[in-house]
Amino acid sequence: MRVRARVHDSMRVRARVHDWMRRRQGPDVLPVTLERRRLYILPTGAGVAFGLLLFLMLLAGLNYGNSLALFLTFLLAAFALVAMQQCHRNLLGIAVIAASAPAVFARTTGAVHLTLANPARLARAQVEAAMAQRAAVGADLPAHERRRLELPLPALTRGIVRIERLRLATAHPFGLFRAWTWVHTPIEMMIYPRPHGALPMPAHSGHKSGARPRGGSDADEWLGLRPFRDGDSPRQVDWKAYAREAPLLVKEYRPAGAELHLFDFAQLTDPDTEARLSQLARWVIEAEAHGERYGVALPGVLLPPDRGPEHRHRCLAALAVFGTDDGARHGGGAGASR
Amino acid sequence: MAAAPAPRADGAALRPLAWACAAFAGGVLLNCDRVPAWTAAAALLLIAWRLTTERSGARLPGTVVRALLALAVVAVVLLRFHTLNGLAAGTALLMLMAALKLLETRARRDQLVMVGAGLFLLLSACLDRQSLARVPLYTLQVWLCCSALAVVACAGFGARAALRLAGRALLLALPLAVLLFVFFPRLAGAFWAIHRAGEAQTGLSDTMSPGSIVRLVADYDPAFRVQFAGRAPPAEELYWRGPVLHDFDGHTWRRRSGVFHLRQRLQYLGTPYRYRVALEPTRQRWWFALDTPAQSPDANVLLTYDDQLLGAEPLTEPISFDALSYTRTRALEPLGAFGRQQDTALPPRANPRSLELAQTLRQRAGSDADFVQATLDYLRTGGFEYTLTPQALGADAVDDFLFNTRAGFCGHYASAFVTLMRAASVPARVVTGYLGGEWNPIGGYFLVRQSDAHAWAEVWLQGRGWTRVDPTAVIAPERLRRGVFDLLPDALATRARLLRSSAWLTGLLQRWDAANAWWSDHVVKFDYSAQLDLLGRFGVRSPDARTLGWAFVLALLGWLALIAWHIGRSARPAPPDALARAYARLCRKLGRIGPPRAPHQGPLSFAATVSAHRPDLRHSVHALLARYAQLRYGPAAPGTRTQDIAEFRRAVARLSLPRALSGPQ
Repeated sequence: MRVRARVHDSMRVRARVHDWMRRRQGPDVLPVTLERRRLYILPTGAGVAFGLLLFLMLLAGLNYGNSLALFLTFLLAAFALVAMQQCHRNLLGIAVIAASAPAVFARTTGAVHLTLANPARLARAQVEAAMAQRAAVGADLPAHERRRLELPLPALTRGIVRIERLRLATAHPFGLFRAWTWVHTPIEMMIYPRPHGALPMPAHSGHKSGARPRGGSDADEWLGLRPFRDGDSPRQVDWKAYAREAPLLVKEYRPAGAELHLFDFAQLTDPDTEARLSQLARWVIEAEAHGERYGVALPGVLLPPDRGPEHRHRCLAALAVFGTDDGARHGGGAGASR
Repeated sequence: MAAAPAPRADGAALRPLAWACAAFAGGVLLNCDRVPAWTAAAALLLIAWRLTTERSGARLPGTVVRALLALAVVAVVLLRFHTLNGLAAGTALLMLMAALKLLETRARRDQLVMVGAGLFLLLSACLDRQSLARVPLYTLQVWLCCSALAVVACAGFGARAALRLAGRALLLALPLAVLLFVFFPRLAGAFWAIHRAGEAQTGLSDTMSPGSIVRLVADYDPAFRVQFAGRAPPAEELYWRGPVLHDFDGHTWRRRSGVFHLRQRLQYLGTPYRYRVALEPTRQRWWFALDTPAQSPDANVLLTYDDQLLGAEPLTEPISFDALSYTRTRALEPLGAFGRQQDTALPPRANPRSLELAQTLRQRAGSDADFVQATLDYLRTGGFEYTLTPQALGADAVDDFLFNTRAGFCGHYASAFVTLMRAASVPARVVTGYLGGEWNPIGGYFLVRQSDAHAWAEVWLQGRGWTRVDPTAVIAPERLRRGVFDLLPDALATRARLLRSSAWLTGLLQRWDAANAWWSDHVVKFDYSAQLDLLGRFGVRSPDARTLGWAFVLALLGWLALIAWHIGRSARPAPPDALARAYARLCRKLGRIGPPRAPHQGPLSFAATVSAHRPDLRHSVHALLARYAQLRYGPAAPGTRTQDIAEFRRAVARLSLPRALSGPQ
């Protein structure tokens, strides 16, 4: 019991230290440059042992009144101080450019992508990044260079994994000191349900959107206008509307012959919610791969048929957060958050 | 830590262990000549064995084997040294224990222990020997250990990178190390007693047998250095007094221990010589001074009744002292009964022919002084020879020498002369010490080597007191003015002969010796009083430990500020180039007429924002920002880049942004 109490205490102390650091530093908006006031440094175990060694050497040198032994001691002490400065400097001035976690499927391993930049002409070595209580990933940062680090993060169950903070640390160059900092940037990793299930895709659905053929110029079906998104072809932009000082709009068509699906949670019979969500996820992936239009209907959530990577993400995200607190918060399920 | 089969390791995986072993091996090699040979050999063998084991992936021995081995090592060291305390025993123990640690070196921590052992062995070597010649070795070892730290911390470092990293850090550390060395307050005494047992004594000893001085002549090492404050005495007066020997058993002269007389009152005649002697550590108690010192230079040093300086403790560290000497004195008191008895005693029945000769000579002479002269004449005219390779002498050594071999070194002549004096009841004693010295013009001092060892005699003459008589001087008068090597070139060891073979080498040698003297004076003997002296030279009035502490803190802070400045400068982002400056100016201009560029926005995205805000400026703004993107991220056009950037800068400067006529909807 006492052990547990002590563990509890140490965790509480750690949590308080973290709270203090967060209050002290404030929330971070990327890009963040690591400044002096947010870098912490302490000797490592090896550093403490080295200090002890130096103390013994000092005693011996003083006792024997031996100049060379004293000089050796002072040289090593100064060396340790230089090592401390170099360790601190190895982190100082590094810029955290971006941190994100692409969505992944459950039961795979995702990754937090962290982009670090070294804007100075001093090369940095052995900079380690880690999430709390996870193994660190190290990288060297040559002068004026950027590196992207991938911190593996296992995706166990669907939903959203939130990373509160990232730790950047270094013990370079001699392992006597460790400098570190916390970057408080919230990162969300969306974990889609695991695509699974053998049921065939429902061939057709009754939900027809109110679309009309727009003309005979091509066989595609006119679907309507939607706001411009990055990656849209300029040829699809409604330039006439833009000339009337309307926002940039894109004309959408349905390719001729494409099928229209609505994947409905309620129509599945499997009693296990997770199995149903897995089946829906699988259908969404297949339909997108075939270039078909599809929508998803969940209790309380309806995503009208559409296609494209954005739509696919919206559908899978709705499946991912279904029935969780995040799902309740996302409401209509139009969670476009990435 | 159990004995698990190690995975086969090679290349980078082997590197930290190899470096840790190298650091340890360096420490072993630094100490290999002062621990028993098998200790160093065992340590080096274990290192080699461990490295091959690591390569082949063989098993390491288990816990029980290691514990037994450790116990055995302690037992062996105890048997050999009879103590675990003391520098030599401690070093041997540390060496063996660290070598045993190799048997379980698996984790990073174990490798750090090896590096620590390397540093400790270096410390031990420093405690033992501080000569300038060893400083490069010590420097290499520090460098090696620090590089090993880097490699153990990160196995990715290659040898060159690790050495460069550690060398750089050590160079940056050097100024602070010097400051710490100068200002860190020293102790006046010691925390605990220092065991120096088992260390070899060097130089003259307190006995003299025929041939004992000859052994010293082969030793070209310095014994001490002397710097005269004023005029130096002439070369034939440079008699450096060491042990004075009174007791003779027919073969060997000895110094009687435990005899303390009051020193006679003397009248000092002639020039007083003030000088400073820097003694090398001999592990003996003699302090060497010119002929007759007038007073003791130190509270711990006794000026004995026979004018010899005797320290309270053996000399384990180099020391310097100031002294005042005279080369001519007159006794103001008669020789006491005990002194006369001691210095006229001869072993009974030994050397009968010598006794006979002495009696004959004494009867012919009118006074003791005449007798001395007659004896010297006898030696001069007797066909005696000065040689370094005398024949061995029989039981009656003096008889054998005077009537048989007639060839000897200074010890033979001093011994024979004093025997003859005593045989005629003239008080006489043998003085051992050094004669002469090599003038070093670079350092301005006399260097006295072990090879300058000499023995002469002193006789008590009525009305004058103890008078120096050097019988060797009548056999080889040149010896007074020149070193023994000029008389007897065969005396030189090969190394010394080589060093003296050309004037250029001799000059080099003198320079090297002057550097050694400087090192010894200013570094090795830098102690509390030297610290206070230094502060005084900086203008501190009446310096004490507290001012020293303040100077120390100030030096430390100054260095830290300097390093922080240096490091802050190199870690700062590089200043923006011309292109970045022009881009920043463009963004500032655009920010004035619309929303400023968000930190995450690239130039093209910003162009879209500006276009949405001010469609009238769409074309010019987009063209400029796209141009920037191309210049910054596009393929480099090496020839025209500078011109392109200049052109872009001018375009940005020309860009005029009229305020919108109507506000954006």
